[in-house]
Amino acid sequence: MAQYFGTAVEDIFNTMGERFLPEGAQDVNVTIGYNISGDGGGHWKVTIQEGTLKVETMDGEVADCTAVLHANAETFVGVTLGRIDAGEAFSSGNIKVDGDLTVLIAILPKAFRPFKPVVKASTIVESVEERFRPEKAEGVDVKIGYDLSGEGGGQWTVVVKDQTCTLKDVLDDDCTVVMRMEAQVFVDLNQGKLDGATAFTSGQVKVDGDIGAAGQTTSLFRKYVSEGAAEEKGEELISLKCLPSINQRYATGPMMGKWFDGLKEKKFYAAKCPECGRTLVPPREICAQCRVRCNELVEVGPEGTVTIVDVVYYASPDPLTGKIRETPYTALFMILDGASNDESFAHDLNPKDIDRIKSGMKVRPVWADDRKGNYKDLLYFEIAD
Amino acid sequence: MGKRNRNVGIIGIGQTEYSSHKEHQNQVEMVNEGVRYALEDAGITLDDIDCVIHGNMELFEMVHQPDLWHSLGSGAYGKEQLRITTGGTTGASLVCAADNLVASGMYDVVMAIGLEKLQEGHTTGGITNMADPLWFRHLQTGALTATTATMMMEEFGEERAKRAAMKYRIMMDKHACLNPRAHRRFGLDYDQIDDLMNTSPQLVGELRLIHMCSQSDGACVMIFASEEKAKKLCKNPVWIRDHITVHREETFNNFGIEMPEMTHHYAARKLFERNGVTNPVEYFDVFEMYDPSAWWGLDWAREFLLLKGDEHIRLLEDGEFDLDGKLPINPSGGVTASNPIGATAMLRPAEAAMQIRGDAGPQQIKKEVRHALASGFGGTLWTVLIMLEKDLDWQEV
Amino acid sequence: MKISYEDTKDCKVITGKMALPNQYFAGRVGSKFIIALRDEHKILGVRCENCDKVLVPPREYCEKCLSKLDESWIELSNEGTITNYTIVNYNDRHLPRRAPYILAMIQVDGADTPFPHIVEGIDVEDVKVGMRVKAVFAGETTNTIRDLDHFEPV
Repeated sequence: MAQYFGTAVEDIFNTMGERFLPEGAQDVNVTIGYNISGDGGGHWKVTIQEGTLKVETMDGEVADCTAVLHANAETFVGVTLGRIDAGEAFSSGNIKVDGDLTVLIAILPKAFRPFKPVVKASTIVESVEERFRPEKAEGVDVKIGYDLSGEGGGQWTVVVKDQTCTLKDVLDDDCTVVMRMEAQVFVDLNQGKLDGATAFTSGQVKVDGDIGAAGQTTSLFRKYVSEGAAEEKGEELISLKCLPSINQRYATGPMMGKWFDGLKEKKFYAAKCPECGRTLVPPREICAQCRVRCNELVEVGPEGTVTIVDVVYYASPDPLTGKIRETPYTALFMILDGASNDESFAHDLNPKDIDRIKSGMKVRPVWADDRKGNYKDLLYFEIAD
Repeated sequence: MGKRNRNVGIIGIGQTEYSSHKEHQNQVEMVNEGVRYALEDAGITLDDIDCVIHGNMELFEMVHQPDLWHSLGSGAYGKEQLRITTGGTTGASLVCAADNLVASGMYDVVMAIGLEKLQEGHTTGGITNMADPLWFRHLQTGALTATTATMMMEEFGEERAKRAAMKYRIMMDKHACLNPRAHRRFGLDYDQIDDLMNTSPQLVGELRLIHMCSQSDGACVMIFASEEKAKKLCKNPVWIRDHITVHREETFNNFGIEMPEMTHHYAARKLFERNGVTNPVEYFDVFEMYDPSAWWGLDWAREFLLLKGDEHIRLLEDGEFDLDGKLPINPSGGVTASNPIGATAMLRPAEAAMQIRGDAGPQQIKKEVRHALASGFGGTLWTVLIMLEKDLDWQEV
Repeated sequence: MKISYEDTKDCKVITGKMALPNQYFAGRVGSKFIIALRDEHKILGVRCENCDKVLVPPREYCEKCLSKLDESWIELSNEGTITNYTIVNYNDRHLPRRAPYILAMIQVDGADTPFPHIVEGIDVEDVKVGMRVKAVFAGETTNTIRDLDHFEPV
């Protein structure tokens, strides 16, 4: 059916019932005829009487009403949506009114909530190829599946590869990620009526597969703007974006200095408290419990026993580069051999051991071949078997 | 802990709405909004304030010494001003500091301002930069860890622990839906436990997205007065009975074979001992706990209330932490609902005080609230614990 | 092994960087001020009726009496007087000009508060308190105070 600015003529009449404001139509007794010509046009008669509304589709030309409006479909929709200036439409003769013009000018705005175009989920998905931004898709190779339930929903796969975008109207088996939700939730998200984080956290949107790929969709596609969306002259609110950057130099002191030397030699040094005897690793000058200075270093490890395993699925992007660590990765808490029982040491696990690692296992450090005495010398730990 | 020189009452509380969209206000204006609400609530003007204390997590808004800029909106012009930055516990530390300043006799009326405008900053970056630059900064993943979830599942069984944590989370959301100022309200229901338990995306281990707190923008301002002034200026001042601050080293290293006593437990033990509270679950009428995640909220209920075994889970399962239970926890929805970091720890005593006053809003507990407990959390598992009272009758004890 | 704190042979210095992207909101009042500079080449202030003062840059509430100011906008002159100044003699990447340049406190006609800005068009030795200057607006705008580019002698 013919659409102008994303809306069909009959959408305007079909929604009159829900947009009617009886309190604005008190003491109103009028009939309004509409003769809309052109593709998608038709004839309608609207009766407002004693605070009630009747909208009838008519077979032929409507006459004998308090006011009768004649217009072509495009002008009628355009003026209703505010996309065509009403004054100009009248002056140019694109809209003609027989009868009492004040009915249209004074009564209609009080009796009805303004028409806002209804957007269907399928319309938004189907526009994805036009909204694609190839310049943002360098090196991107993903298949994003949409499984939208309810009216206006459907299943689609958006394939992004070699900086091109193709839409398929089936849900492929091998999608990188599939987003499932009610069609209306999808529409609300795209129109900014529902915030993505809320929808996701509260379970209204379910994501199967690579969550990172789901996050990419915002940058790969221009935002959907329905054709009928009038340019709302919002307030301009200014924000100053900046990246303050401060260079720094940190002194290690003798303890951490020795720790880094130890890494070069594939050794772990811990500070030993002269009072309580516990080991502090990495070494610290003061034992916080006894509040005395430690001046002895002992060697601990290099192997350790795992106490708790933390599997990280969500890694925050590096604030400067935007890069995200590959997930999942595993962080380990362990007691190094010879260290006291109450102070754990934390580091990463070799990705190859993610499926096998359990609390209680023994792990050993894996060192970089070329060690310079900094944190990069220790790559990760792996299961010692 | 020395003797209190004089009693201190909370006479005014002001809160802005908490949201993640405050593009229409700059930092000064947001502070000012909270200040105006607090002054209105107390029924006083800037002339009555002797000293202003200000706090937030500085690196988050990328403004050095923001209290100086914010004085354009905080009313601190011509007054004495102090700044407190103690990480996540800042809000509660502000309350403790205000109490100390007024109790000491040096000031009669002190206004404390806690705020955060995270939308303007970079939270994870800020938190990561708390870690020492020599070693931990390179390993840190922000503030996320599932160690508590792992330990709870081992102690109580995977199914029971996961259900309890999810029930806690949904209970918090139900409270948040009542609180008109809460930031996130999802409208969750208990019949979603099984679904969310297994489908909410995992962040780290069993710590799922639904369990985690958000980040919010907003300000909370409280006004404190000496007993004499409080009784003159305010119909129903809320009295600060006692508070304790237990911080520890900035290391995340107590996951060894033996776990040292948690700061929460230590704080509760010391505070209750010196105040003669032998059964916290019976004594307190409300507990506003700083619960950054549902797992921590549940685990710390045991620590703070000095419970043993699975007592805390049974209390949750029996509905005793609900609004109509024996000890309601977080009628405001807690930190998972609103988290304006510099203010969050102040919101806890603020909401608790409003419960005592009886004007907390739709989330008001129906039974009379006379004894309240509020906690603050920050950094590497630090605790601030505050006791509030409706009447001044504890001193005869 | 024993560690001696006087012995610095193991001490190192590690370089690092603190860099975090962030933003600052101007707010409604701030935005209106900057938009007036940017689009209309006008300097706007607000008036506190209670204190009987015109404040610029404008703010939502008066910091002394907490009166609401954002309904009392006043268009100020683009000309003003230098009430004080300093000569910036060093270079740093965050500074808006290369040294030496004049940073002055300028009170535009109609305002009760001066605000700082750059003064150009004269040798740095010739700047004087009391000098009359007028605003010159930026061709390329950045949505900041620098949409007013500098002041120059009248």
